[in-house]
Amino acid sequence: MRAAIRLLKRLFRTLAMVMLVMLGSTILIRFAPGYFSDSREMDARYASAARAELSAEAARNSSLNQTLLNEISAWKRGSLGLSREYEVPVVELVEPRLAVTGLLLLRAITLGWMLSLCTALVSSAGHHLSLLWHAPAALLLAVPTAAMATICLLAGSGGPVLVMTLLLAARDFKFLDRILRKAWRDPHVLQARAQGIPTLRLVVAHIFPNILPQLFALATLSLVTALSTLVPVEVIFSVSGIGQLAWNAAMNRDLPVLLAVTMIMAVAVTFAGMTSNSTAKLQAV
Amino acid sequence: MISRSVASWLLGALVLIAFAVLAAPGTSYSNQDRDLPLAASSMRHPAGTDALGRDRMVRVSAALLLSLAGATLAAAATTLAAAAVGALSAFSPALLGGLIILVCDVFLALPWLFLLLMVRSALPLTTSPAHSAVVTFLVLAALGWPACARAVYRGAVHLRDAEWMLQARAAGLRGHQIAHHIMPNLYPLLLPQFLISIPAFVIAEANLGALGLGIGEPLPSWGGMLFELDNSAMLVSTGWVYLPIALLIVVLLLIESIAAEVY
Repeated sequence: MRAAIRLLKRLFRTLAMVMLVMLGSTILIRFAPGYFSDSREMDARYASAARAELSAEAARNSSLNQTLLNEISAWKRGSLGLSREYEVPVVELVEPRLAVTGLLLLRAITLGWMLSLCTALVSSAGHHLSLLWHAPAALLLAVPTAAMATICLLAGSGGPVLVMTLLLAARDFKFLDRILRKAWRDPHVLQARAQGIPTLRLVVAHIFPNILPQLFALATLSLVTALSTLVPVEVIFSVSGIGQLAWNAAMNRDLPVLLAVTMIMAVAVTFAGMTSNSTAKLQAV
Repeated sequence: MISRSVASWLLGALVLIAFAVLAAPGTSYSNQDRDLPLAASSMRHPAGTDALGRDRMVRVSAALLLSLAGATLAAAATTLAAAAVGALSAFSPALLGGLIILVCDVFLALPWLFLLLMVRSALPLTTSPAHSAVVTFLVLAALGWPACARAVYRGAVHLRDAEWMLQARAAGLRGHQIAHHIMPNLYPLLLPQFLISIPAFVIAEANLGALGLGIGEPLPSWGGMLFELDNSAMLVSTGWVYLPIALLIVVLLLIESIAAEVY
């Protein structure tokens, strides 16, 4: 019963956060100084009457209440709003790209985790040559995603999955190494090592069960990291995913698309795990 | 990694060199040598010129100073805001504290790059380069505080429940007198947060600039110069085009080294 109440409380908090995220994003965009700038108003192909109509439409929707109502009704209809640039429902633009982005994220996160877990296991088990593992990780984290993607593209080797995998592996390695080093120093693990229990059995039976909550927390953080690398990677490698759509929308000031994409991402992050708890668990390490 | 003092000296030396390059008479990051676009290294232009004939060394120096100054100011603003929010949420009544932390969680749930794209693209079309630089770093500061505020909140809760705090309250110290003791105790927590924020903001600005949504031309920025890597003709003509990215990595590694030792 207590567990059910806790779960309900957590679900309620998550839903409240989703609502607040939607509200916050809409308010932020509504009060941005260029909200009423529409690139179509400067397009010479539009007649002056059409441009006047665009200005009138913007004025009609200028109040915050109207903006929020428009947004809520668009989400209720399932259209997620109307793209200013393509003049089609945003959902038609988002739907085919979700699968592309989802697959890219899944492959990058899986490979990144495998790589970081293997290197962190090796690095944390021995005290020697830790620089050998930490130096490449620090170097990878110091390279902006856009630069790494461009260099990979110029070198003709590696694609979006490799770039995202390397960045995720470097970021996750930093946390995993710290978590595992702490786990190896636990008294019961030290005792088991002294008794000569094989390393593989130690890892499977004692290390992993101990660090499982922190691994779940790290998974949420990995998703956030992957989302932050998505835009430069998809733009530079011309992957027709959500990141590229967001960038196109940003360049063409297609705010309804940008708002919808931001909210989808925020909802995904919120549901992937309560970020606050995740961060707390990791910072406690 | 290298020690903190060596990293600080090297970073200081780089900043001084950048100042010296910019202080040389007749140099400006927007000066164009129209006869020498895409020039190779020479006495006049030690790192060559870009596609518009602007001296690459001068532009990289200006980008280094602009980026470091902007990121440092943004990190300071973030840390101050986080200190205020974190301490306020820990020492205010439970309901208000919970609400403040909920707002932090909402910000943490927002994908920052998408939010940056959204805010940056919603700026007026007539935004000047200087304004775009200010807005870019302001937005970074506005989005960077929640994670730091959460860490400060945990530290402040620890302080609130400390025995000496109980003693201070029992002795009848007033709110402002207690606050006088809180900040010095939060300092060891705030310094690493400040140092960690600087490279994060530098990278964020570079990524935004590389997407064409950072600091506007003709102001030099890391992101703007990463654009040059897209031009394959330029890559063939000169290897100096890699100077900005190489210097950026060195600067970030130096800051990381300083931050790592404090952390």
